[in-house]
Amino acid sequence: MGQFIQLDNFSKIAPYAQLFKQGMLVTVLLSLFTVVIGFCIALVLALMRMSNVRPFRSLGLDENGHLREGGFLSLVSRFNPLSFLATAYVEVLRSTPVLVQIFIIYYGVFSLIKLPSFQMFGFIKFDRFFPGVVALGMNSGAYLCEIIRAGIQSIDGGQTEAARSLGLSQTQNLRYIILPQALKNILPAIANEFVVIIKESAITYTIGVQDIMSAVNAVKGATFVIVEPLLVATAVYFCLCFPTSKIIAYFERRMSHGDKR
Amino acid sequence: MATNDSLIQVTDLRKHYHMGAIKALDGVTVDINRGDVMVVIGPSGSGKSTFLRSLNLLEEPTGGAIVFDGADITKKKYKDASGKTVKLDIDRLRQKMGMVFQHFNLFPHKTILENMTLAPIKVKGMSQEAAREKALQLLDRVGLKDRADAYPIQLSGGQKQRVAIVRALAMEPEVMLFDEPTSALDPEMVGEVLDVMKELAKEGMTMVVVTHEMGFAREVGNRVLFMADGMLLEQGTPKDIFENPQSPRLQDFLAKVL
Repeated sequence: MGQFIQLDNFSKIAPYAQLFKQGMLVTVLLSLFTVVIGFCIALVLALMRMSNVRPFRSLGLDENGHLREGGFLSLVSRFNPLSFLATAYVEVLRSTPVLVQIFIIYYGVFSLIKLPSFQMFGFIKFDRFFPGVVALGMNSGAYLCEIIRAGIQSIDGGQTEAARSLGLSQTQNLRYIILPQALKNILPAIANEFVVIIKESAITYTIGVQDIMSAVNAVKGATFVIVEPLLVATAVYFCLCFPTSKIIAYFERRMSHGDKR
Repeated sequence: MATNDSLIQVTDLRKHYHMGAIKALDGVTVDINRGDVMVVIGPSGSGKSTFLRSLNLLEEPTGGAIVFDGADITKKKYKDASGKTVKLDIDRLRQKMGMVFQHFNLFPHKTILENMTLAPIKVKGMSQEAAREKALQLLDRVGLKDRADAYPIQLSGGQKQRVAIVRALAMEPEVMLFDEPTSALDPEMVGEVLDVMKELAKEGMTMVVVTHEMGFAREVGNRVLFMADGMLLEQGTPKDIFENPQSPRLQDFLAKVL
């Protein structure tokens, strides 16, 4: 003892390689599902935040049917409950630790909802995996919402003006003109969020998801070796994240070349 | 005065910001008749663009009336002929008003043909085939039929603006609004766009044109409006305006631009 790393410890943990392999698969699956769920939540949130639902709209008109120029009634007429709810959601999830959110989802919400306990691929416990995906997805939805919103707002206002002046409705404008352009612009940011989630998902081992960190824990318990499994985990995470972010950066460069000319 | 030929009646149109501290439009009254080529001139910040953009409600006026097709479109709700209160259908209204912008605003993710057929298909419910045929016919008119499958980024400024004009025409509008259509163009491309507009005027299209091209105003316009400080200071035939300007502001303006 006394040395930070001992080579023979690696041979001690070698028989548990299968655990790391499974852990890696869980981490990747978890991240993929999370980013998909997160994106769907985020799209709805972003559209809610930018919606134009104003139940008290009529208070903003004066007796001649014109827009009021200011004052309390004008303020009330601009209140948008959808936008308010979405903003509240985003701010709460961004201002609280993801660990707390995961515990609330797992011990709180999913103690009320009984999940079927079966095993995906023969080893992934669904009743742990699913709450993990939900919690991480809700969390990343809040962050992705801001990315999508920025993407939509980065589209020149002239696009909307042109679409609306051709007679397209607000929904048609969003569907055919704004979203296709915005989503293309934010694709790299979404892919980057995927990398972030791979790293963040390590936290789900606290609710028993069998990801890479839970493999570390299992090996530690069986062999009383700590540092070496952690180094293996480090290598696995690095091999997942580094190439992915490099590939994203490559496509990001190529796409921006196509746009500006 | 609403005559038979009157298409749009604008009465005392106002657009105020910040509780009236800024008056982009301060009481503009004008009648636009069918077949008019109305050219709006004036110094920058005079409210020309705001006036034009108010006509299809890209800007919401804060006062006054714009009567188009028998309804005051500045009101969100109005009474129709039978006295029923109906909601203003802004999308239906805008189909009848084509608009051409300074910065073209073509859709960069769609080909020229898709730019032109999108609204006819999605808004008017035209068949893909009919919309395509119509678009190609229009493109042929402006000499761009061979660019139908190109993307906007592959076109020059003048070509983009010509596409923008026929894109608006594809909806068969009753009036065309031009918001400084040549201001963002390289000088050598201004002519090709103005030629298309002249052609359009000759065919009897009702046009409202905000422009700095005094030559166009003089040659093609049948009415010229001079705006300053959000107000309509002077209007008349090109001859009246350019050869016999009354107000000092107009005289001053013409001295600078001519």
